[in-house]
Formats: sequence, C-alpha cells, structure tokens
Amino acid sequence: MRATIEVAGLRKRFGQTMALDGMSFTVEPGQVTGFVGPNGAGKSTTMRVILGLDAADEGTALVGGRPYTGLRDPLRHVGALLDAAALQPSRTGRNHLLWLAHSQGLGARRVDEVIERVGLGPAAGRRAGGFSLGMRQRLGIAAALLGDPPVLMLDEPSNGLDPEGIVWMRGFLRALAAQGRAVLVSSHLMSELEDTADHLVVVGRGRVVADTSVAGLIAAASTGRVALRTTAPAEAMAALAHAGAAVAATGRDTLTVTGLAAEHVVAVLNRSAVPFSEVSAHRATLEEAYMELTRDAVEFRAAGQEAAR
Amino acid sequence: MSDRRRGDAPGLSTTVAHRSGFARLLRAEWTKFRTVRGWVLAMAAAALVTVLLGLLSASGSHTSCGGACPAVPVGPGGEAVEDKFYFVHRPLNGDGSITVRVTSMTGQIRLPDLTPTPTPGTRRVVSGLVPWAKAGVMIKESMKQGSTYAAVMVTGAHGVRMQHDFTQDVAGRPGGVSQRSPRWLRLTRSGEDLTGYESTDGRQWTRVGTAHLAGLPDAVQVGLFAASPGDLTVTPGDFGGSSAASRFAEATAVFDQVSLEGSVADGVWRPDDVGVTLDPDGSAHHPGGFKESGDTYTVAGVGDIAPLSDGPQIENTLTGLLTGLIVVIVVAVMFITTEYRRGLIRTTLLAGPRRGRTLVAKALAIGAVTFVTGLAAATAAVTLGKGILVANGNYVLPVAPFTELRVIAGTAALLAAAAVLALAVGTLFRRSVAAVITAIVLIVVPYILATASVLPAGAAQWLMRLTPAAGFAIQQSIPAYAHVLGNYTPSGGYYPLAPWAGLAVLCGYAVLALGLAVFQLRRRDA
Amino acid sequence: MRRHLQAEWTKLRTVAGTGWLLLGLVALTVAVSVVAAAAVSCTSAGCAYDPAKISLFGVQVGQAMAAILAVLAISGEYSTGMIRTTLVAMPRRATVLAAKAAVVTGLTLAAGTVAVLASLLVGRRILLENGFTRGPGTLMLSLFEGPMLRAAFGSVLYLALIALLSLGIAAAVRDSATAIGVVLGLLYVLSILPFMIADPGWQKLLWQLSPMNAGLAIQATTHLSTLPLSPWAGLGVLALWSAAALLGGGLSLRLRDA
Repeated sequence: MRATIEVAGLRKRFGQTMALDGMSFTVEPGQVTGFVGPNGAGKSTTMRVILGLDAADEGTALVGGRPYTGLRDPLRHVGALLDAAALQPSRTGRNHLLWLAHSQGLGARRVDEVIERVGLGPAAGRRAGGFSLGMRQRLGIAAALLGDPPVLMLDEPSNGLDPEGIVWMRGFLRALAAQGRAVLVSSHLMSELEDTADHLVVVGRGRVVADTSVAGLIAAASTGRVALRTTAPAEAMAALAHAGAAVAATGRDTLTVTGLAAEHVVAVLNRSAVPFSEVSAHRATLEEAYMELTRDAVEFRAAGQEAAR
Repeated sequence: MSDRRRGDAPGLSTTVAHRSGFARLLRAEWTKFRTVRGWVLAMAAAALVTVLLGLLSASGSHTSCGGACPAVPVGPGGEAVEDKFYFVHRPLNGDGSITVRVTSMTGQIRLPDLTPTPTPGTRRVVSGLVPWAKAGVMIKESMKQGSTYAAVMVTGAHGVRMQHDFTQDVAGRPGGVSQRSPRWLRLTRSGEDLTGYESTDGRQWTRVGTAHLAGLPDAVQVGLFAASPGDLTVTPGDFGGSSAASRFAEATAVFDQVSLEGSVADGVWRPDDVGVTLDPDGSAHHPGGFKESGDTYTVAGVGDIAPLSDGPQIENTLTGLLTGLIVVIVVAVMFITTEYRRGLIRTTLLAGPRRGRTLVAKALAIGAVTFVTGLAAATAAVTLGKGILVANGNYVLPVAPFTELRVIAGTAALLAAAAVLALAVGTLFRRSVAAVITAIVLIVVPYILATASVLPAGAAQWLMRLTPAAGFAIQQSIPAYAHVLGNYTPSGGYYPLAPWAGLAVLCGYAVLALGLAVFQLRRRDA
Repeated sequence: MRRHLQAEWTKLRTVAGTGWLLLGLVALTVAVSVVAAAAVSCTSAGCAYDPAKISLFGVQVGQAMAAILAVLAISGEYSTGMIRTTLVAMPRRATVLAAKAAVVTGLTLAAGTVAVLASLLVGRRILLENGFTRGPGTLMLSLFEGPMLRAAFGSVLYLALIALLSLGIAAAVRDSATAIGVVLGLLYVLSILPFMIADPGWQKLLWQLSPMNAGLAIQATTHLSTLPLSPWAGLGVLALWSAAALLGGGLSLRLRDA
C-alpha cells in the first residue's frame, strides 16, 4: 500500500453553508504536511470525511488508494487523533488502548509499547477522566500509533500542550515522517507549523487555496515588497506614490512599498531628496504569507479586529 | 475510482478475514465493557438483586395444613393433578368395552355469599352446571390418584369430550343432554389403545378420539363417573390485579342401558369417592353419591380430573427480575450513549469503520454479558427459591426438567434481548435519558400495567401480545389448559402467547430496533 | 432567590426538550386514560372498577414524563459540565436546587392540571357510554363531587411530587441514565412488588411503602375501606419520599465537588 492520502473534489453541504467546496489535495509519504486554514475552513470536516466519519456529498477520499471504510484493520493503515477528550472517563488510559488494540487484533504488549513511546508511563493505569489535557493528547497519540500505521492524521495536536510538550510533539512528528510515514497535521495557527511542516495545504472556505512547500510559500509572499525606514514618511509617501507605487504606513517611521523594486525606491527617494535610514527587500514570515492567502477566506472575524485594521 | 474497485476485490480470503475481523470487534467491545468498573458492578448488582428479591418473595410465602399436607397426586406426564371424582367401577381384564346412555345431567352451584350476610350460615345454592362439569365412562389403570386413564363424557357446556391423562382433551359433538335428547357413550379398549365413541340414538356411532395409554396393565377399572370443578369467580383486586376464588359445585348424571363387553368380573358395581377430602371428624367433605334402581344408575360427583394450574410455580421465585431488568436496561443504554457523550463513538468507528458490524458486535457483547449474568441469577433464584418455598410448606407445581431449563434460560434470554433492544434504542436516541425511558416504557411498563393494575384482563392480554413485554411469557411454566377453567390472565401468571412465541415477539422488537439503529448509524455522520 | 428562579426558568424554557416533555405528559396521560376507559366494560352485575382510577389511569404513564423533565433539569447540566457554570454564577447550591424545584414543580402542576382535567372529562364520557354506573342504580360520580375532586386535585399534586422526587434523586445520582433508572425502578418495580409476595403482612407493608401505590391511593373513590392507606395518607407517603430525595440531593449537591 502506498502511504498517501488522496482527496479529490470533496463537496459537502451542511444546510445553507458549503463546508467543503471542491477540496482536493494529496499527502505524500516521508514528510509532514501541514493542513492550515482559519476556523471553519473545512479542515476537520475533510479529516472526518477521509476517516469515513462523515459522508461527502461528492468526491473521493482515499487512504493508500482505498476508501477508509474498505480497510481491514484500519488502525494498521491510518492512525488518527481527532479529539483527545473522546474518552470514557471511568476507564483507565491503558484499558482505553487495550480495547482499541483488541479491535485490530493486537495484543497488550503493543499497548505497553506505545504507552512507553509517548511517555505516558505509569499514568496510563489511572482513570482517563482524571488526565490533564496534555496527558490526554499523549494518550490520543498513543492510540494513533497503536497499529504502527504508515499514514498519520492529527487534528490540532498541540492543543493544550505546554511549551515542553509542543517541542516534544514537533520532534515526534518529524521523526515519524523521517521513518517514511505520511503525516498530516492540521492547525489554525501557521506559526505552530513553521518548524514542523515540509509541505503545506492551505484551505479557506472549503477549498484549497495553496498547495506548496513551505519555502515556496514564503518566497511567493515576499515578492515585490520593500520595507522603508525614514524620518520623513509623509514626503516619502508622496514621492513614491507619484512614481506609481502603493505605500502603506506600518509604523511611526516605517513604510511598506509595493509595486517598485528596492533599487527603484532608492532612486526615487534620492531624486526627491527624502532622507531614509534603511531600505530592504522584505522577506515575509510564514504567518504573513498565510494571512495574505487566507484574507478572503476568513469567514468570521471579530468586528473589533476589523476596525483596528 | 479504479483504486476503489481494486480495494473491494471479492474473494474467499476477504470473507475469512471479515469473520476474524468481527471476532476482533467483539473482543474489543468485551474489553470495553469489562474495563468500566461501574458497569461490571451494576451487572453483578442486577444479578444479586434478582436473586435476593426472589428469595425474599419466596420466604414470604407460607403454607400450613395443620399437620402434614396431603400429597398432591402427579399425573402420567409428571404434572401435578387434581384427581377427585365419583367412580362406580368394576375390574376389567384385557380388551373390552363399556357402553352407556346418559339421559340427564344436573347439578348445583354455591354462589358467592351476599354481603352483608342476611343470616350467618346462609348459603346461596342454586341448581346448575359449571361449564366443565363432567360425567361419563372411564377406563383407569387403578384407583390410585394420578394413574393413567381415558374417558368419554358429557360436560356442562362443552358437549361431548374425550379426555385422557389429565392434559389431553378432544371435542366431540356440542350440546347438552336431557331426557328427550340423551347421549350414548362408548369406550373400547384394545391393548393400550382406547377409543371413544358417541351416538345420539345408540345405532349410528361416531368416533370421538383414540388415546394411547402407555404401560396400561391388563387389569384395569372400568365404570361410570361424575365430577364437577368448583365455580370460579375472578374479582379485580382492591389494589389492582385480580384474585380468583373457587366455590363448591356438584354434578349428577343419570345413566341407563349400561353394557359391558370383555372379561368383566360378575358381581356388583363398586362405588368410590376418589380423592374425597375428609373433615377432621373423619366424615367426607362434600361427598359424591351413587344410586342404583333397576338398570338406572345415578352418579353424583364433586371435584375434577384435570391438571392443577393453581399454586406456587417455579417462576414465582423470579420476582426480582424486573429490578434486575431495569439495571440491565440502564447499563445497556449507557454502553452506547456514553460513547456519544464523549465523542468516543468516533474512535470506535475509526477502529471499526463498517458501522453495521461494529454495532452488531456491540449488541452481541452486551447481549452475551447479560445472558450469562441472567443465567447465573435465574439459576440461583429458581434453585434456592424453590428450596425456600418447599421448606415453608408450599407445594411447588412440578414441571419437567426441560421446562425448568426453559424458564431459567428463557429468563436469561429475556434479559439479553431487552439489553439489545435498549442498546439499539440508545443508538437511535444517542441520549441516555430518552433511551432509558423508552426502553422501560416498552418493556417494563406494559408488564406492570398488565399484571398489577386495574386494567381489564382483555386489555392486559393485548399488552402482553403486542409489546416487547410479551417476552415474559417464556417464564410461564404451567400451560393454560383449555379444558380447565382458571384465572388465565397476566395477573394470574398466564400469558396469551406461548412461551417461545412471546420471547420471539421481544426478540423481533430487538432485531427491528437494532436494524433501525444500524441504518441510522450508517446514514448519520458520526 | 428571585434571580435564581428567573435563571432556572430561562434555562428550562430555552431547552427544546421541555416543551415536548410537557406536551408528552399531557398527551400520554390523556391517551392512556382514554384507552383504559374504552377497555373497561361493565357486566349486568355492575361495575367493579373505580371510575376515577380508570379515567385517570394515564397518570401512571404520564408521570414518566414529569420524571424525565425533573431528571434532565439537573443531570442534563452534569452531562455537559454546565453545572460548573451554574454554580459559579450562583454559588448558593441549596438555593439553586430550590429554584430548580420551584420551576419544575410549577411546570408540572400546569401540565398536570391540563392532563388531569382532559382525562377526566374524556374518560367520564367514554365510561358513561360503556354503561358505567357506580353500583346498581346510582349514577357515576360527578366531576365536582368530593371524592372525584379529591382524586383530580390529588393526581395533579401526585405528578408534582413525582417531579420533586426525581429532581432529588437526579441531584444525588448526577448521571442521567442512572437517575432515570432509579426513579422508574422506585416507581414501577416497587409498585409491583406487593403482588409478587404471598404473605399478606409483607404485601401490605410493601404497598404502603411504594411511592406509586401509596401516592395513587389519592385516586381511589370506591372501596376506600379496603385500601391499606387512606388517600391523603398515601399521598403523604409519596411526599415523604420526595422530601427525603430532595434532602439527599441537596446534601449531595452541597457536600460533593461539582
């Protein structure tokens, strides 16, 4: 079986809202694929469709070339962490893994292995209801690893983890990808994925808005923007606007210029005798690149945020 | 799409794989059940409360007869019987026959006392026959109560009948007898086979039926008999339910043209009041009687020749079942609704994405757990409860070992089917309260309304036919006999459906609900 | 207390189930009463049935709805964790329970009144058509005659007491499925237990202790002398049950961590 997730043309409607509107992408093995988008972009729904929990109105979602519901012992093909709170509180962590193991024809030995692997240790013998959010997250990861699957899907795995836990998770995911597994990690925070993901699938309003490597995305977002520091922002704006550039003030003495290359900006400023202390071709952060991409795709934004902009 | 087709390639290997996959799901569900301590404890409590309440009710039941209770005769089939009648008989060796003409059948019935009693000791006795008053000819193994017999008879309201060995009854021509329209009856013995005939004129004979009496000895008793069961009045109980009372009734028949064939000893007829109750002073209580004038014989009798349907029965020790049932329903509902409450259902469906199979595995797991628990509880309750009842001087109506097994295993099956039904309802509702209520209203409430309320018997019987409570019929150990008048109502412990039919109704509901649940589970997004 | 009441009323009012449950209470009570009345037929010897009991028969089923309403009012909050929000907003736990009790009682009384009146009116018509008479010669009890009025009024009170009993149990048990199981077990199973025990002493005692049997004595209008408890004493037994349950629930709410 190929360690891939292939999503093609998924559409799903919940009443009036189009949750998925032609979602298509492929997750390749050997790398961590970040699945990002604002809240309500359709990330969770897509994952649930891939896992056979929700039925799409149209389109296909295949894991290793097969629909999830056709997989025999599915947890040996795909490991998934959707909701770490999905536990029966009165059952111990270990017993939670045990019934899952039994459903896949696995034994108690494997359960103890994954408990060790995620560092749950002796806590696994306690009632899962008393687990902290971080421990539940680790238990969820253990459940995903139970079948030693070539494909892993994790929905917001860093939720509720302390900084130490986040670092651990990052290394853990990278190690899993290095073993040749296909790892799909969803998040609504790009920064979380910055050091983890190799590849990104950015979604908004139920469809893919970018499907690219992390480096490629940053490069695309960086083009044509120049940062300028000057003691006379008003004069600089007037001069640059006259030269045909779009200028925006980003601080008391900083401007962002689009539409003119850096060397042209320097030439225009010199010609108009506007003083400046720094001109630099801007390199966007992943966060900015993401904001750029999803600006139109955000469905809900607080009114206060809107006004501040 | 081509990928998908490849994935679904059929073949022997996949079927085998599916089966083992199902076993895994079953094991996973069992692990799920046993690792929640509350559920295991609740199941144990269900068993315990079933047994304890059963024993409590058994220990609350006492019988004393002022000394040793008289032994209850047992018929050839092993059932307790009433074998009390007036028999005028002679010995018969080998094959032979008896033919008589019945010219009259009359009787008297004591009606319920008026309240307030006008003068103490006044009894309202009227003339008349109870429907199953009987008189006719009989061949019986011996004078021992409960011994095998066959008889052809006229009855109070059910025409001519041929009966044998207490439980068997065949209808002949309807209608009563009188001077103007008498009935001829004939009973012929040939080896172990006895054949009954009837005629309206003594010339044209109609066969009523043939009875095979296994092990009938060569020497038997042949003769005329009369008996009349008590007049049964069923009154609705003051708190609901009903109670039955039986009052004295007597039947008197006049026979003539009596002829015997075969090796019958010459001499006189011997009258015997079989099974008559003796008063403390040694005199017969409600004696029968026999008068012979010329070739006319008048026989009067009190009592009945029929299986006993009244008295403590083995299922009386299972009174705690209802409480256990409610616990089982709650656990079975929670087995699925807790998954919904915490989103655990999604994990379950990730592990077993073929939802129908996953739910069926869940149903089997809870059903099996409940069955085993119920089996242990019912075995203990019946075995211990019977011991207590007997120790308290009660006579528990005996039943065949297979019937006892059916009552015990059936009770366990009843619990298991109820658990599956509750689980399915839980899946449909996804909310525990709605599901528990629905399951209880479907299974427990109809039973309670049918057995312990002021509801009339007809309505009660329909409840026990149509609702899942029909399953309680599996507990009925003594069948209702059409030829014995009894308080055959749910409140009397008699259900309108046969035991297995009743259980089948409950199982039908369970299967239907499970089917609906599978359909819904597959249709809905998890 | 007024704010508590208002808050609980808003909570209950804005849950979709409440309306359906109240509607269910009325519908089930009336429907079952009508069926019971239609099923009764009188022989020429007279009628052995109690007209009030028969035409209020549906209360025995309708009470389940009152029980659900009350159980959900509290265990619904436990299952979602909303109880913590409630107790943060209103830290006086006993008052919270009292407010819940008041609101649930009020709703049950209102729905119960409608259900009981409708059942009596319809049931009476059907019984009369079935040739129902009270003993030979006399006409059936009129609606506003003493015993009948007591049966009607008492049945409404009965429903409210059942709701309070359920609320108390739910507060003590917290889990909704368990609570409803305990309530229905207490009502139905305890009501049938006396019929399963042959010993008359035990029978009578269990009957008097059973909240449903004792409480429904309030519906009796015939054979009063044969009842193990007088109608009002019977309702009193139920009231004691409810009080005990509320006390237990209140203590559990106060003493246990939410």
